[in-house]
Formats: sequence, C-alpha cells, structure tokens
Amino acid sequence: MHTVRWYQLFSINYRDPRPIYEQITDELRRMLLTGLIAPGEKLPSVRELAQQLAINPNTIQRAYRALEQAGYIDSAPGKGNFAALRPPADAARRAELVGQLRKSARALRELGLTDAEIAACLNEGGEET
Amino acid sequence: MIEVKNVTKSFDGFRALDGLTMTVPAGAVYGLVGPNGSGKSTILRHITGIYRQDAGEVLVAGAPVYENPEVKAKMAYIPDDVFYFLQASVDDMMRWYRGMYPDFDAERFAKLREVFRLDEKMPIRRMSKGMQKQAAFWLALCMRPEYLILDEPVDGLDPVMRRQIWGLLMADAAERGITVLVSSHNLRELEDVCDHVGILDRGRLLLEHALSELQDNITKVQIALPDGRPLPKDLSLVHETVSGRLRTLIVRGDPQETLAALQTCDPLFMDALPLTLEEIFIYELGGNDYAVKDILL
Repeated sequence: MHTVRWYQLFSINYRDPRPIYEQITDELRRMLLTGLIAPGEKLPSVRELAQQLAINPNTIQRAYRALEQAGYIDSAPGKGNFAALRPPADAARRAELVGQLRKSARALRELGLTDAEIAACLNEGGEET
Repeated sequence: MIEVKNVTKSFDGFRALDGLTMTVPAGAVYGLVGPNGSGKSTILRHITGIYRQDAGEVLVAGAPVYENPEVKAKMAYIPDDVFYFLQASVDDMMRWYRGMYPDFDAERFAKLREVFRLDEKMPIRRMSKGMQKQAAFWLALCMRPEYLILDEPVDGLDPVMRRQIWGLLMADAAERGITVLVSSHNLRELEDVCDHVGILDRGRLLLEHALSELQDNITKVQIALPDGRPLPKDLSLVHETVSGRLRTLIVRGDPQETLAALQTCDPLFMDALPLTLEEIFIYELGGNDYAVKDILL
C-alpha cells in the first residue's frame, strides 16, 4: 500500500465552465475552510502540485497568489506556503456566493416556486450537512 | 528564447511558410496550434535545424540554429514520427545520447525506469507507436535540455501515460524553467499545460498571446434583450448566434467592461461564460474563413 496525500485526491473537472486556476483556487479554499488542510499545515510546492495535476506551474502560482491575497494562506519566502492560522473573514467570497444564491432563487421563481418553497429548500440543505 | 523572424519556405513551388514571425519566451510552455497543413511541423523542423529557410531568421538563445551543434546541444526534439537507428534499443540510444548531450542524466534515466516499463533491449522500431513515444520521452527527459520541441507528442499515448509525462514536464518547467514548444490538436490538454499559445494559418501566425491574457480578453455572453433593443454600438463583436430572443455573443475586450456595456441595454437575462481554447481557435479561424461547413451527406 502507498500513502496518498490529500492533494492527490482532487482533479480538474473538464466540463466545469470555470477556468482551471479558479477551480484550483475554489477547491483549495474549500479544503482550507473545512479543515482538510489544517491551520499551519504546509501546502505542496508549486512544482509538486504542477506535476501531480499536470497543470502549468504559472496556473498553480496564480491560484496560490489569489488565496494569499484573500488571507487563506501565508507564504514564507524560501519555505513555502502554509495554511493561515486564522481563516479570514472573506467578504468578497461571501458576496460572490450570495450573488450565486440570488441567481438560483431567481431561476427557481421563474419555475414557479414561491419564496416560502425556496426557503424550505434551504432548510432541507441545512439538515443534510 | 526562440525567435522566428519573417521565415519563408517553399517546397516545389508550394509556400509552406509565408513570412512567419513568432517568439517563444524563455521558460514558456508554448502551444502551437493550427489547421492541418498550416505549417506547424515545418516550422518545428526549422527551429530544430533540420530544414534551412529560404528567407528570414531562426534564432534559438540568440544564435542561428541551422548547422549549429552548440545550440542544438541545448535542444531535444520529439518528432511526430519518431525515428532511431535500425535495430537500436532504448539502451543503445541512451549510450548514444550520453555521448552527444553533455548534461545527459544517467541517474534520472535509472529513476524513470519505474515510469516507462519498456524492454530496454528491444529494438525501438519493433515497439508499438505508443511505446516508441514513451521511449522518446524517456530519452528526451534525460538529456536535460533547455529547449524541448515536441510535435504532436502525446499522439498514441494512453491517458495514464499522457498525464504522467505532462506531469514530469510541468515539474521540469517549474524547477528548471525549461522552454517547451509543443504542437498539438488536443486543445483541451494544451489549455492545462501551456502558458502561451500561437495560432498558425496557411504559413503565417494568426495570433500569439499569453494564455491568461487571451482568455481575459474575450468573453462569451448569453443574453436576451427586450424587443427592439439594439446592442451597444461600440461592442467589439467577434461572433453572434441568435436563436429566438437568446443571443450568444463572443466579444473581444475586457470582460468587466463588456458586461457593464451590455448591462445598459436592460437585458432580461445575461450570463457570462469563459471561453475554452477550443472555442477561441474556432472563432479566430472562423473570421479567417476556416470554419465547420454545414454539409449534409
């Protein structure tokens, strides 16, 4: 048996309309927020991740930079990238997701659902997790 | 850096390259795409010093390539049809290249044995097409070239091997800043591995860009406008398809600005989508009258 590192578990979805760097950013963010990558844990180097995913290193670098700017990771020059000890209050990310939620709600209304029914869907989602 | 300046080449009166100019920055992974017969393999054979151009210049690391062993020692080339000496095995070729390439890495060769499970004593010509490509990569990766020129490199390789090889190349790109020039029709794959792309058409370069720049400079928008409402006039429209009220627009320019401009038309519905490299290829060449024809058979 060989050990699998967590980053070997994620792959690029080619049917996803998001650009690759965004997919990598989103996936890493999810792992950081859910604690799959623990605070303070070292992230794989750009070279490791580029090799693992067979993706251009600049793309990986771009994703790391975006996460660093949003405060999810700290980069120590010469040492690598580490998961931030305290996850940021990411207002931009929240606004983006609320925007997506509004869009879905609009689509559901177009399908004839009432606001009460839409709210009920949200509660169902809450029970699943 | 690889510089191709105004290169012309004719074969029997056929102009394969027609004033081609392109630049591959040092450390770039550059994808060369274009329709069949657009001159991709021909320019790669100039860059590797196999052909001599009729006019123009081909410079690698600032020096002309043709008959220049010093520059060629920095290059590895995997042609579309790999060829080795008759009867030569991977082992024979390894010893040959060790003599030719001063930086040949024997340790790496041994390590990669685990990746490429080939019979090192078997004549390469007796191997299957895919195995021949594997042998070529095994040898090329050990030459530790500064420049790696690949012509349809993963043609014939299985999905696992493709991923494995691209992974190894990406590690070399990250670590040593190797410059890779690769021609391919697999745009999906190029989108992952390349940071620059050039589109060739009839022996000329149609466009050349950093991939991120290319994708940040064009947007696909699905939009439905109120009846009788025209699109903004100053929109740089590349392509438009209309089906009922819904229009799909391909617009050149900054995506944010495009959306802001369209927002002023009070759309009933609007959605922005990023363009894949395949779509960019089709739309760019479509404007150059190369498109999928509507033919019923």
